[in-house]
Amino acid sequence: MSVKKEEASFKVFEHVLVPKHEILSREEAEELLRRYKIKPYHLPKIKDTDPAVKALGAKPGDIIKIIRRSPTAGEAVYYRFVVRER
Amino acid sequence: MAVETLIEEEEATKRIKKIKFGILSPQEIRKYSVVEVREADTYDEDGAPIASGLMDERLGTLEPRARCKTCGNTTARCPGHFGHIELAFPVVHVGFVKYIHEILNIFCKECGRILIPEEEIEKYREKIKQVKEELGEEPTQIYEEIKHKARKAQRCPHCMKKQNPIEFSKPTSFYEHVDGVPRPLTPSTLRGWLELVNDEDLKLIGYDPTAMRPEWMILQVLPVPPVCVRPSIMLESGIRSEDDLTHKLVDIIRINRRLEEYTSEGGAPPLISQELSDLLQYHVTTYFDNETSGIPPARHRSGRALRTLAQRLKGKEGRFRSNLSGKRVDFSARTVISPDPNLSIDEVGVPVEVAMKLTYPEVVTEWNLEEMKKLVENGPDKYPGALYVLRPDGKRIRLEFVADRSKIKEVLEPGFIVERHLKDGDIVLFNRQPSLHRMSMMAHRVKVLPYRTFRLHLCVCPPYNADFDGDEMNLHVPQSEEAVTEALELMKVQDQILSPRYGGPLIGAIRDFITGAYLLTRKTTLLTKEEVCTLLAAIDYRGDLPEPAVKKPQPLWSGKDIFSLLLPKDFDYVARASICRGCTQCLKEKCEYDAYVVIKDGKLLHGVIDKNAIGAEKPESILHRIVKEKGTEAAKDFLNKLSRMVNVYTTMKGFSYSLDELDIPQEVKRKIERRMAEARKKVMELINKFNRGELIKLPGQTLEDSLEIYIMNELAAARDEAGVLADEYFGMDNSGSVMTRTGARGSSLNIGQMAACLGQQSIRGKRIIRGYKDRALPHFKPGDVSPEARGFVSSCYRDGLNPWEFFFHAMGGREGLVDTAVRTQQSGYMQRRLINALQDVRVEYDETVRTATGQIIQFRYGEDGVDPAKSDHGKAVNVERLVERLKIAYADSREKPAPKEYILKKVEEVRGELTPLLTAELKKALLKSDLPKRAVDEAVETTVRDYKMAKIEPGESCGIVTAQSIGEPGTQMTLRTFHFAGVKERNVTLGLPRIIEIVDARKTPSTPIMNIYLKPEFRKDREKAAKIAQSIVYTTLSDIATAMYIDYAKASVIVELSPQSLNERGLTPSEVRDLIKIAGCNITLEERWRIILTPRNPADLPKILTRIAYIPIKGIPGIRRAMVVWDKGEWVIQTDGSNLARVLRIPEVDPTRTTTNNIHEIASTLGIEAARNAIINEIVGVLEEQGLDVDIRHIMLVADIMTFNGDVMQIGRHGVTGEKASVLARAAFEITVPTLIDASIKGLEDDLKGVTENVICGQLIPVGTGIIELYMTPGRLGGSQS
Repeated sequence: MSVKKEEASFKVFEHVLVPKHEILSREEAEELLRRYKIKPYHLPKIKDTDPAVKALGAKPGDIIKIIRRSPTAGEAVYYRFVVRER
Repeated sequence: MAVETLIEEEEATKRIKKIKFGILSPQEIRKYSVVEVREADTYDEDGAPIASGLMDERLGTLEPRARCKTCGNTTARCPGHFGHIELAFPVVHVGFVKYIHEILNIFCKECGRILIPEEEIEKYREKIKQVKEELGEEPTQIYEEIKHKARKAQRCPHCMKKQNPIEFSKPTSFYEHVDGVPRPLTPSTLRGWLELVNDEDLKLIGYDPTAMRPEWMILQVLPVPPVCVRPSIMLESGIRSEDDLTHKLVDIIRINRRLEEYTSEGGAPPLISQELSDLLQYHVTTYFDNETSGIPPARHRSGRALRTLAQRLKGKEGRFRSNLSGKRVDFSARTVISPDPNLSIDEVGVPVEVAMKLTYPEVVTEWNLEEMKKLVENGPDKYPGALYVLRPDGKRIRLEFVADRSKIKEVLEPGFIVERHLKDGDIVLFNRQPSLHRMSMMAHRVKVLPYRTFRLHLCVCPPYNADFDGDEMNLHVPQSEEAVTEALELMKVQDQILSPRYGGPLIGAIRDFITGAYLLTRKTTLLTKEEVCTLLAAIDYRGDLPEPAVKKPQPLWSGKDIFSLLLPKDFDYVARASICRGCTQCLKEKCEYDAYVVIKDGKLLHGVIDKNAIGAEKPESILHRIVKEKGTEAAKDFLNKLSRMVNVYTTMKGFSYSLDELDIPQEVKRKIERRMAEARKKVMELINKFNRGELIKLPGQTLEDSLEIYIMNELAAARDEAGVLADEYFGMDNSGSVMTRTGARGSSLNIGQMAACLGQQSIRGKRIIRGYKDRALPHFKPGDVSPEARGFVSSCYRDGLNPWEFFFHAMGGREGLVDTAVRTQQSGYMQRRLINALQDVRVEYDETVRTATGQIIQFRYGEDGVDPAKSDHGKAVNVERLVERLKIAYADSREKPAPKEYILKKVEEVRGELTPLLTAELKKALLKSDLPKRAVDEAVETTVRDYKMAKIEPGESCGIVTAQSIGEPGTQMTLRTFHFAGVKERNVTLGLPRIIEIVDARKTPSTPIMNIYLKPEFRKDREKAAKIAQSIVYTTLSDIATAMYIDYAKASVIVELSPQSLNERGLTPSEVRDLIKIAGCNITLEERWRIILTPRNPADLPKILTRIAYIPIKGIPGIRRAMVVWDKGEWVIQTDGSNLARVLRIPEVDPTRTTTNNIHEIASTLGIEAARNAIINEIVGVLEEQGLDVDIRHIMLVADIMTFNGDVMQIGRHGVTGEKASVLARAAFEITVPTLIDASIKGLEDDLKGVTENVICGQLIPVGTGIIELYMTPGRLGGSQS
C-alpha cells in the first residue's frame, strides 16, 4: 500500500464547528457602525489569513457577519472586522 | 466641657481623570526638592535629626506632636517632602538600561537623528498615522520594524559621517565595540549622546518626547524620598533602627562625598575615580532594584538582602497588590463563627463587644432626636450608646472624654451626626475568605447577642463555604445611607439565593434539616395536639389549626399537613424525592417508598420532603419555584420557617447514628466474604493467565498495564457489590441510610466502606506499587501482585483494618490531602487570572458586552441577553412548564382549542421580541397543546414578559461574575488526571489541569487527541476503518528498526527491521527500502529484514546514521497511535496525537465532523470562529466530566474574550490581561516595575476606565452602580434664570 495518497480538499464551511460567514456590503457595514456608534476597530476582529476569510475572499477592511448556532438563543449574529495579519 | 478636636472631616470632591507617566528631569527634581542632602549621618548624639542630613526635619516629621518644618502640618497631614542629592558623577538608572541600549543603537551619535533615510521616515510616519486612525491602537509592529531597520544601519544616513559600532551592556555597564574591541563607556558619555537625540524621531519609536527626554534616563540628581517613606523603627531595646532605604541612601551619600572630594582635589588618579564611580553606580542601582540580575544584592549586616524600591512595589505583598488593590479598613471585625438555627437566614449574630466598638454615623433628624439623645446619654460604655458626636461645623466630640454627657445631649439637634453603637437591624457586610464568588460577601441584618462569636444561620453556610470547626469570618459596617442602600439593593442574602453560576438555588436546607423534613413528612409520622402546637409556635403561626388526619381515639395530625402550612396557597408541584429508587415501573402516588411528591393547592398530598424538594443546588425544587414565583422575601420566610419547624421536630423526635447501626447479620457478612473470596480468585486467575502469556492485551496498553486494569476493574466491582449487599440490608429504620437516601449527607459508598469493604487504595490512579524493594511493604514477597499486596483493603471501617491495610489507606489518603493543597493554589491562580482579564467587562445600555475601552466582546450577552442568575437553570423561560401549567389551569374551561393559524399568528407577532429558540419552542408547545385562545394569548404574553424579566441589566459586571463562576468550581476539580480504571483512551488530561491548559491557550495540549469520523462508505466497516487507522500512524525508520549501526567493513549503514513492527503498521521491507532516498547513496535489501545503505562518500556515514532515524516512512506527522472504536453506530478512529490539517485532507475521512482537542490547530485550519466553538466545547466537556454545573453563557464569554482579536489569546499576562490599555491594571497584575518603566518612556496615559485603576485611586468603579453619570442642563435652573 503506497504511502503517498492524493490529498482531497475540504470545505471550511462544511465543518460542524464553523458557522456561516458573510461579507457585509458597504451600506450594511456603515449601518452597523452607525447603529452601535462605533469605529471599525471596536468590533471583534478576524485575520485576513483566517481560513474562513480566505474561503470567502474577504479583504482587510471588510466586515464579516457571522451567523452562529446558539445553545441559548437558537441563532445569534456576530460581526468581525477583517484585519491584516501582523 | 472638654471638646477634643481631631481630624477635621473633609470630603473629597475631586476625581482623578487621567494619569500620565513620564520621567522626571533633573530640573524638576531640583525644583521639588526642599533640601539638598549632603550628610551621610542621620541623627546626632542628642537624637535630633542632623541638618542637611537624611532625616532633616524639612523632609517631614515622624514624631506625633511635632510640626513639619516645611508645611507646618502635623504628622497626620504632612504628606512628606522630597529632597535631592547632587551626584558627583552621572549614574545610569538601572530600570532604563534596556531602553538606553535601544536608543543608542538606533540614533546617530553625531547628529542625533534616527538611522533611517529621510524618505523612509516619511513613509513610516504616514503608516503610523494610518494605523492609529484605522485601528485605534498603537502600531507596535511598525515601531519594531523601524527599530530593527535602524539597528542594522552602519552609517548615519543624515550626517553621513558616523559609523556606528554596536554597544553592549551588562547589568549597568555599556561598551562600545570599536573595530571589534569593546571600549567601556561612562555614563557621562552616554548622556552626551542621548542629549543629541532628535525629538521628532523619538515618536517614530513610540516614545513620547513630551514625557521624557532620553538623557533623563541617566541620573545627575537623585530624589530623596521623604522621611515617612522610610521611617525608622524603635526596637524594644530602645535603639532606633533605620529603614533599608535610608541605609542605602547613606551608602550613596558616602560614596558621593568621596567622589566629590576626589574630583575637587584635582590630583585624581583615574583608576580610583573609576572605581568609586562604579561603586556609586552599584549603590544607586541597588537602591532602585536589589534583585537586578548580574549583581550581588546589597545585604544587611545580618545577611539578609535589603528590600529596596522595586521590591516594595512588586509581588503579592507589594504596594500594588497589598496596599492599593486591597487594603486594611476601618469599621471591620473578625471572630470565630458558631451556628444558630433560630436566626433568620439574613441575620448575623454580632457580639455586644463588637457592636460597641463599630459604629454607624446616624444623622440626627426631628424623628430620631429623642432616641439619639438617649444614645448620647448612655455614652460609649453603656449599650446602646454612642461614641462620637459630630457638630455641623465639623468639630468632633469624643464622648469618652466628656465629663458630663447630658450637656452634649441638650445641644443635640437635627443636622448633627451621632456615631452610635451597632443595633439590631443595621446592615453589615459579612464575609468569609477566600472570597471566591460574590456570595462570599453578603449583606446581613445585625442581631446583637451576648458572648463572643459571630452567629449565622446554617443554611447560609454553603455560599460562604463555612463550617464551624474554628472558621473565622469578617464583618464590615457601611458608613453612609448610600452604602447601606447599595448593600440592600444588591447584596441581601435572600437576593443571592439563586446562583449566577447555574441559575439554581445556592441556599437551601442542608444536613439535619433535610433528615428532619423527611422524618416529619413520612406517612408514619403522627403528632399529638401538643406536638403540633409546639411546632406551630416555632414558626409563629397565626392561623387556625388544620383538621387532624386521625380523629379516634385521639386527634392526631399528619406531618404532611403540618408541613403544608409552610407552602403558599396556590402552589402545585410534582416531583420525585431523593429517596426514589428509580424503579422501572414507577408506581407514582402508590410508591411504596412514598417517593412521589405531589402538592396541590399548597397541600402536600403524597411523598416525603427531602433534598430534591428543599435542598440547595436543585433547580426545580420547591425552594426554587418559590423564589421564582413568589419572590425572594417569600423564599426567605419559607426557609426560615422550614428550618425552625424541622429543627423543633428533630429535637422532639431525636435522631442519632450509632455503631450498632452498622451491624450486619451473619448471612450478609458471609455473602460479603464470599464475594471477596471470589474476587481474589478471579484476580489470581488473571495473574496466572498473564504469567502463561494468555492474557489479552488491551489496545494501546502494555501487557502489564492491561493486567493492572483488569485487576482493578475486578476489585472495584467486588467492593461495589459488597457495598450494595450491605446497603440493601439497611432500611429506612437505619439512620445512616436515612441520611444517605434523603440526600442529607453521605452516599452509599460511605455506608459500603463503613459496613462492608473499603476497596482498593490507589496512588496516581494505580494500585500501591512503590515503597519497598519490588513490593510496597516488606511484609510481602517481592513481585507479589495479589490484591492485598497492592493495596486492596477488604475490611470495613467497623471491623477495623489490618496494619498493612491501614498503612495503604494512609498512603492513599495522603495523596488526597496533597492533591487538595496543590489544587487550591493552582485554582486560585487561575481564578486570579480570569478575574484580572475579565474585570472590566460589563454590559452596556445597548445590550453589548464591552471592555473598559469600548471594545465589543459580545453583541448580546450570552447571545440571548439573559442573566444566568435569573434564568431557570439556563433557560430564560421554561416554555413547556408554562404550557403544562396553563393546561391544568384551563383544564376545566369548556372553550374550543385555538386553531393552528391563530397560534402561528400570535407567535409571529412577538418574533421580534424573543429569541429564535424561544419562538420555536413556543410554537411547538402551543401547537401540541389544545389550549383555547385565551390560554394561547396568556402563554405568549407570559413568555415575552418572563423573557424580558430574565434579561441581564446594563451595567452588570458580567466579566467578574463569569470569572468567579468558573474560578470557584475550580477549587472542586480534581487535580490528578486519572479517575477511571476503565479501558478507553484514559490518557486524556482532565479536570483542572485541562481547564488551565485551555485558558492558557497552550500551543499543544499535553494529551492531544483526535476523533476522526469517516465517510459513509467506510464508517460501518471495521476492516476498512482499521486500515485507514493504520495508515495514518506516523512511522519513522527508528520506529520499525530494531537496530541501526555503521558497518565499517562494508562502509555502509545497516538497518535491521523488526518484523513485528512492520506487520503492525502494514509495511513490507521492500516498501521501506523504496522510501529511503538519500542522494549519492545506494540502498539495497538483504536477507529480507536488512537494509544496507552504501554512500559514495564513506565520510558521510555518521551523518547518514543520524539522519535516517527520522526519515518518514508512513503516516501523518503528529499521529502517534490510532485505534478504531465503535461509537453510536459507526466506527470512529481515535488517535493519540493531532494533525488536523493533514487528516481532514485524507480522502476517506469525513471532513465535516472530524475534530481535535488542539485549539490552535482548529484556529489555523478552520478559523477563529471554529476555535471559539472548540474552546467552549472543551471547557464544557471538562466541567461536565467533573460533575460541575456552569451556565454556558459564562463559558461563552471566556471563549469570546479569548478570540476577540482574531487569534486565540491566553488569559494571562501574555494575552488578554497584557493587552489592557491601563498601565495601573497591568502593573497590579504581574510584572509591576517593568510595566511602569515602559509606561514612563512611552508617556502612556491611563484613562482610568477600568476596575483596578479606580480601586487604586479610591474612586467609584465604572461598573454596576458606577456606570451612572449625571448630566446637567445648564440654564434650566428654577427661578429667574431662563
